[in-house]
Amino acid sequence: MPTPPAKVLVVDDEERFGANMVKILEANGIKARHAADGEEGLAEAARKSYDVILLDMKMPGLSGKDVLKRLREAKVPSKVVVLTGHASVDDAVELINMGAYDYLLKPCKTEQLVKMISLAYEQRLIEQRELG
Amino acid sequence: MENVRVLVVDDEKDFVDLFVNRFNKRNVQASGAGSGPDALKFLQEQPVDVVVLDLKMPGMDGIEVLKEIKKRHPLVEVIMLTGHGSVEAGLQGMGHGAYDFIMKPFNIEDLLVRIHKARERKVLNEGRQG
Amino acid sequence: MEPLLRSVRGRRLLPLGPALLVLAAALVGRDLTGLPALILALAAAAGVFWAVSWVAEQAARSRLEECRLEEELLQSQKMAAIGQLSSGIAHEINTPLAVIGQEAELGLMELDLPDLKAQAGLDAARDNLRQIALQVERCREITHKLLSLSRKMEAIVQDTDVNALTEDMVLLVEKEARLKDIELRRNYAESLPPVATDPALLRQVILNLLNNANQAVERQGHVVISTDMPARDRVRISVEDSGPGISPENMAKLFTPFFTTKPPGQGTGLGLSMCMTIMQRLGGAIQAASPPGRGARFEILLPLRPNGRGD
Repeated sequence: MPTPPAKVLVVDDEERFGANMVKILEANGIKARHAADGEEGLAEAARKSYDVILLDMKMPGLSGKDVLKRLREAKVPSKVVVLTGHASVDDAVELINMGAYDYLLKPCKTEQLVKMISLAYEQRLIEQRELG
Repeated sequence: MENVRVLVVDDEKDFVDLFVNRFNKRNVQASGAGSGPDALKFLQEQPVDVVVLDLKMPGMDGIEVLKEIKKRHPLVEVIMLTGHGSVEAGLQGMGHGAYDFIMKPFNIEDLLVRIHKARERKVLNEGRQG
Repeated sequence: MEPLLRSVRGRRLLPLGPALLVLAAALVGRDLTGLPALILALAAAAGVFWAVSWVAEQAARSRLEECRLEEELLQSQKMAAIGQLSSGIAHEINTPLAVIGQEAELGLMELDLPDLKAQAGLDAARDNLRQIALQVERCREITHKLLSLSRKMEAIVQDTDVNALTEDMVLLVEKEARLKDIELRRNYAESLPPVATDPALLRQVILNLLNNANQAVERQGHVVISTDMPARDRVRISVEDSGPGISPENMAKLFTPFFTTKPPGQGTGLGLSMCMTIMQRLGGAIQAASPPGRGARFEILLPLRPNGRGD
């Protein structure tokens, strides 16, 4: 049975960026949805099971870090890839320690992003198999 | 002072075996990995002080592995191994956090000195963080 | 006499001279008579006078040193501020940059749709979009590089063999240099004491200078790498190339961020300003000289011990 397409949630407060990202991911065989802020992102992640969550760090209201913390507390199994305009090495280490799968610096090449999503998705599938 | 723990990463199996053999005889706890992904897996499971990393490997190349190591294990020091001098690789490597460079073929005593210097730096770094 | 007359403190002390002269002469001449007394008096007075001018000169020199250190501190604060500003800007720019890249990609996808794909008339538009994507990539390199520079470059001090470290970098560069017929000549000091510095940061600076030197020469020429101790407490590493040299106008801008003489698109011009930042962090200095017709010479100065700076 062929693997179903990865399900990705894009959490970003930039309307255009989120909408574009969904279009580009769908064109690359990935099912995607955009949430316009942290609260919406958390609600959506609780409503549906996503394989990967692309999370922007700088958002008004609930920040990316807050969302990451809440996701971890709620034990959401989705792999979180942080998308940020700025990440120092220390930030990156902190985010990974907080449970992020990895991070990518904006702007990032689509090829790179798709590759990272498929790696995260593979990891997810392995974990699901181990549990089920 | 405990033995320094070294991981050598190179796609040439003979080289890795020789390295591990020679260095284990010199109070170094040496282990080997044949690829980037193997190395990263090893680092997840075992504590390592210094990684000796080949620059040119098929699949995940040296610079990519270096970036991943520094991202996930920032205190581990990396010595890049290069078969030919490449300025670009050198600048790139250092820009991504490599501590030192050594060209193949290398002198084992020379590499040992560098490994100890790299470990010294790790200890100093750990001291600051704590 | 000159330093004495030049400094403010010196000028204030000057009237003291003749007064002390007379006093000294009087005191010394008391117990002697005739010529020996006179000679002794004059000698003593001269001694006192020179002592006074020496003290004034030291005062002047230490004031000059204070000014220089203040200027250096101001300069490094300026650079730190520039660093923070540019990383802030880079951070902000990355967001709209990401959107521009996406729009170009989506535009190309639109032009690739079944009903538009075959239309050759749209090729110019396709090229425009590809160019946009390319230029976004260029911007990305710049912002990412700026951000990586602004990372904390804390110096971790270890005893370093400067000759060995320099030779390591020369070896790294040599193969490529030889291919271009560039000769690397070493001129190392016989023995240098170990220098307490950050070897990883120092390597970056030396490699940068060697790379610049090779690029300046381009083909057929030489680069001389030397180490020496210009003073008891410091080590100097020099990289001198036989290239076309640096014009006086460019000399002034050499270490400013983004300054580059390379054609657009090649190199970001951040190398030398990064070298300067590193050298300041190491408690040292970097300077350049380019006498007409004699290529360019870059010198790095390193104190044997970083002078009591925290890092």
